[in-house]
Amino acid sequence: MATTTRARPGLSLGRWSSGDAVRAGIITVLLLFVLIPLPGMLSSYWVDVLTSVTVYSIVALGLNLLMGRVGLVSLGQIAVLALGSWVAARIAFAGGLPFPIVLLGAGLGTMVLGTLVGLPALRLSGLYLALITLMLAGAITVALRTTNFPNGGPGFLGHTEDVRGNPAVRRPDIAVNDPAYLRYAIVVGIILFLLALWHVRGRPGRAWAAIRQSEPAALAAGVNITLYKLWAFALASFLTGVAGGLLAAHVGKLYTYQFSTQDSILLLAVVLMGGIYSLWGAIVAGLFMRFLPAVLDNWGLPADLLTILFGVGILQVLLTAPGGLSQQFPRDMKKLAGLIARAVRRPAAPERSE
Amino acid sequence: MPSWQDFQPFIITGLALGGVYALSGVGMVVLYRATGVLNLAFGAVGAMGALIAWEIVNNTTWPDGVGYLVCVLFGGVITLLYGVLFGPPLAARDALVKATATLGLALILLGAMSWIWSDKARSMVLPTTNWSYDLGTVLVNWTQILALLLGIVVTIGTGAFLRYTSLGTAMRALANDREITATLGVPVRRVEAAAWLGSGLISGAAGLLLSNLVGLDAATLTFLVISSLAAALIARLESITVTLIAGIVVGLVTALVTPFLSISQYRDMAPFVLAIVALLFLSRHRVVSVSRGAH
Repeated sequence: MATTTRARPGLSLGRWSSGDAVRAGIITVLLLFVLIPLPGMLSSYWVDVLTSVTVYSIVALGLNLLMGRVGLVSLGQIAVLALGSWVAARIAFAGGLPFPIVLLGAGLGTMVLGTLVGLPALRLSGLYLALITLMLAGAITVALRTTNFPNGGPGFLGHTEDVRGNPAVRRPDIAVNDPAYLRYAIVVGIILFLLALWHVRGRPGRAWAAIRQSEPAALAAGVNITLYKLWAFALASFLTGVAGGLLAAHVGKLYTYQFSTQDSILLLAVVLMGGIYSLWGAIVAGLFMRFLPAVLDNWGLPADLLTILFGVGILQVLLTAPGGLSQQFPRDMKKLAGLIARAVRRPAAPERSE
Repeated sequence: MPSWQDFQPFIITGLALGGVYALSGVGMVVLYRATGVLNLAFGAVGAMGALIAWEIVNNTTWPDGVGYLVCVLFGGVITLLYGVLFGPPLAARDALVKATATLGLALILLGAMSWIWSDKARSMVLPTTNWSYDLGTVLVNWTQILALLLGIVVTIGTGAFLRYTSLGTAMRALANDREITATLGVPVRRVEAAAWLGSGLISGAAGLLLSNLVGLDAATLTFLVISSLAAALIARLESITVTLIAGIVVGLVTALVTPFLSISQYRDMAPFVLAIVALLFLSRHRVVSVSRGAH
């Protein structure tokens, strides 16, 4: 769906070529497979991993939009995720609200905080904006280390050392067991991806593209730069906040160490490697972030290898492949297909010439 | 309100930490001015140097001094290597891209460190820590004095170097305009390499000092760079004198908050809060829309 977005930004959802239809068909079949039979087929370990992948794909989607669409870099998205989890837990302990409301509340709460942060930060740009997000992430991490996450304690902060086994956020009644929760998370993920797609293909997407190309030109064309930059911040924070809610209900208990500054940097690496100019890149990033470590773990290899690999990945993407894997892989496959086709044809050619 | 007595020990730790913040800040600012690269791997390089020094001190029969020397040299060599390999291909790119690329180096080093040394906390005690001074009520050790002195000396030394040597003048010219400097016949690559090397040596020294003052732990030391960055940001990545002052202020404020019990636990936020406030204050007159490539 997203691969066509960049090439033809003005394409409306209504006019589909046959290629798009085939692609949409494949995507639907894949989605149905992941959604219905897959969770039942996997062991609980892999269900757990895939739920993580779903959550982090949504987080990656937020950063993907910021970097790829508007050209803003945030080095503190994991801190925003922590904020989302905190808000979700806070709302969940405030009363027995239904889970979708908790998710929505987490998204909206994080969105308000993200926008408040974004408003002054918009005066800065490029490097300075990235650095201020790094500073904010540091500040949020220190604050959360002290206040901890709400777990049913008294007061606004709601943290108690008394561990009674309270889960941070209760899962919805229809998705209490792990496979059902994975399906639930995937459905939420799909809704959020569609929300992002709708933005990218609509008016905001065009405004963001104009801003990314040249701010003065966008200004001259009558694009409200402040509004649309803030909009991007708000959308990314909303996505990350909902992901925080999903994460809180997934892991049960929240600890500060689950949200490290290092993860913010790793997230940046995987989002770059996945590719920032396509929404597919976010899914690749989620897989990189949570699926690959599990695979390595299964093979008995240290996960630190991945940290090194991601470091190399950042350099490789910035030096040679700004489109990331989601652009490079199809291109490489096409090249490979061409090579194979030529290799198959070549033996036939001499016969004909003789 | 805590009494004056309660503050005294924290003035010392604050000044020492501030000295190292200033040292790192100056190292980063000089490199940024000369090459346009904000080295976010500064802390990771220092951390790895310190871990190598720890290895040499504890697990070899070599004299300890070799370990300390290797730490500083490692910082210089790794940073220079990165600069020579990745500096030129990224030279024409946006400052943001260059800074992001150094995060790649940071991740590589972080992965390597946690692979080789695991995440176990270690301690490093420099010989200077055993010599201490009694200042009436508080004990000052030489590592703390060294940290503050090194911060001040390096700042003054760098300032003089930039002012009076031809290499320093070339660096200042590069900071102003790369194209014109190259046209005037300054060997840009060589001058940049010198900046990378100098900044790297500083990162090694800062890593060594921090491993003693704060603790030897890869992740902590790597991300302490964010606190040092606060000092550099307050100076808008331009003035090394302001960086020195800001570094010491950041260190002092962080330490002096400790006796206030109600906010003591939040003291590590101080560098970030100071940097955020300073950045927003300094950019208050900037128009929101015109923003590309400005510093």
